[in-house]
Amino acid sequence: MSEELRLSARETRGKPGVRRYAMVIDLRRCIGCDACMVACKAEYDVPLGVFRTWVPYRVVGKYPTVKKQFLPRLCNHCDDPPCVRSCPVGATYKVEDGGFVLQDYDRCIGCKACMASCPYNARFMLPEHRTRSNITSVVDKCTFCHHRVVQGLVPACVQTCVGRARVFGDINDPSSEVSRLVARHATQVLRPEQGTKPQVFYIGADRNMTEYGRDVYDAREALDDERAVFNRNHTI
Amino acid sequence: MLDYSVFHTIAWPSPYAWYFFVIGISVALFFFSALSWYREEFRPLRHSAFYLSFGLLVLGGLLLIGDLSQPMRFLNMVNPAYLNFDSPLAWGSLNLVAFGLVSVVYFVFLRKGEQVNAKRLAVAGALLGFGLPIYTGFDLTVHQHRAVWNTPLMPVLFVSLSLVSGAAVASFLAKGPEKLVSMLRSFMLWGGGATAAMLVSLLGTTAYGGSGSEVTFMFMTSGTMGLIFIGLGMVVGLAAPIALLLAPVGRQPIGIMAAGGLLLVGGMALRYAILIGPQIVHTYY
Repeated sequence: MSEELRLSARETRGKPGVRRYAMVIDLRRCIGCDACMVACKAEYDVPLGVFRTWVPYRVVGKYPTVKKQFLPRLCNHCDDPPCVRSCPVGATYKVEDGGFVLQDYDRCIGCKACMASCPYNARFMLPEHRTRSNITSVVDKCTFCHHRVVQGLVPACVQTCVGRARVFGDINDPSSEVSRLVARHATQVLRPEQGTKPQVFYIGADRNMTEYGRDVYDAREALDDERAVFNRNHTI
Repeated sequence: MLDYSVFHTIAWPSPYAWYFFVIGISVALFFFSALSWYREEFRPLRHSAFYLSFGLLVLGGLLLIGDLSQPMRFLNMVNPAYLNFDSPLAWGSLNLVAFGLVSVVYFVFLRKGEQVNAKRLAVAGALLGFGLPIYTGFDLTVHQHRAVWNTPLMPVLFVSLSLVSGAAVASFLAKGPEKLVSMLRSFMLWGGGATAAMLVSLLGTTAYGGSGSEVTFMFMTSGTMGLIFIGLGMVVGLAAPIALLLAPVGRQPIGIMAAGGLLLVGGMALRYAILIGPQIVHTYY
């Protein structure tokens, strides 16, 4: 990114001397196996009903030529994250070297301002009771597997992806694979008009999947069924 | 957008709407108490309006703290080492604390009969008080991806709703001269009219916005939310009381109190719909 396009002091893409991690998701390679969701759940013991990464889909085409289009989702680790701006107590912060947007669980008061400000629904409230963790009743989200990346590993979802649809790396390094993929392919980010500068890039995304459509007004019964079941069984 | 997505909850549930409601009334009642130092007709409201304002302020604070998922950490909101001044919530929490402190001292001066100091604090408290509906409006405005919320109208709309709801409650407290009742009627009438004009403008802009705005408009004007927003909020809670206030019976105390009751129902319904409606569409994203 050129200096002219960098509006906020928080933005680190293209900033000399710092890393800016990003993810490229090649939708042509995604088969919707959900292994990324399982790997993420296992890595963090993510509770039932909430997700750090999830894989929604849409059925496209006309019978008999139909297919499912998958759109793996996660926190976009925005270069100018609205959640960091909206948190009143600084519990959400951006790591300058790497660009990770992280959460300080001990400081979070649970006002949910970050959840309201996230255009990507990437944040969720942890339940009051958890079996193997005492981190409860605070907001959580994907960390780009910060703890793995600082040890030279890739995020768990990238590690496990069988189709190699997810690629992770430093986009400030022009020789990295993510830089080359973004340079060579037409990529899309989700909701670019929000000015958040997301750092998850999609190859082969259809705008019909990434925008609100009138069909949400007439949502599938399956969605409402799931909503009703969730409301019955969870108190958040 | 998608045939299948995981379930997402809304971020801010209904207790926030109740908070907006009680804090709006609290601020306006304090304002009427402060006005009593400058306009003699408001003199009967000086104590009663303030006491109710203080009670509602305490209730509002408890609602706000109770909705935190970590209520015991509410002091983080006023910890200078933690405060993030980019967030309107940080400014709001300081404003709320400052208004609370001024209210306590104002209470002491009122009880002691120290008129000069009480008058000074009344002005300071009224100014700080109006910061509360302004900040609650900004709380919503700053979320750039939310239709309806992300408009400069929000802070002004919340101030207007605050004055209307406060005047409605004050009409039940007013047991004084006809002039006071008439003034409260004017607040309700002009505040209600301004609120209605803003809402019509807001709905028009939303209906002709992008896909997210259009869908939000559809959610807010149909089904249960439509019943709350259009039915209870705009028809029962704004149009009907304005018509009542303009009718001959609307100049009598009983008519003004009836209009006040309707405005309170409308004030709550509008705050609820404005808070929840724009969050529905996002749960499907």
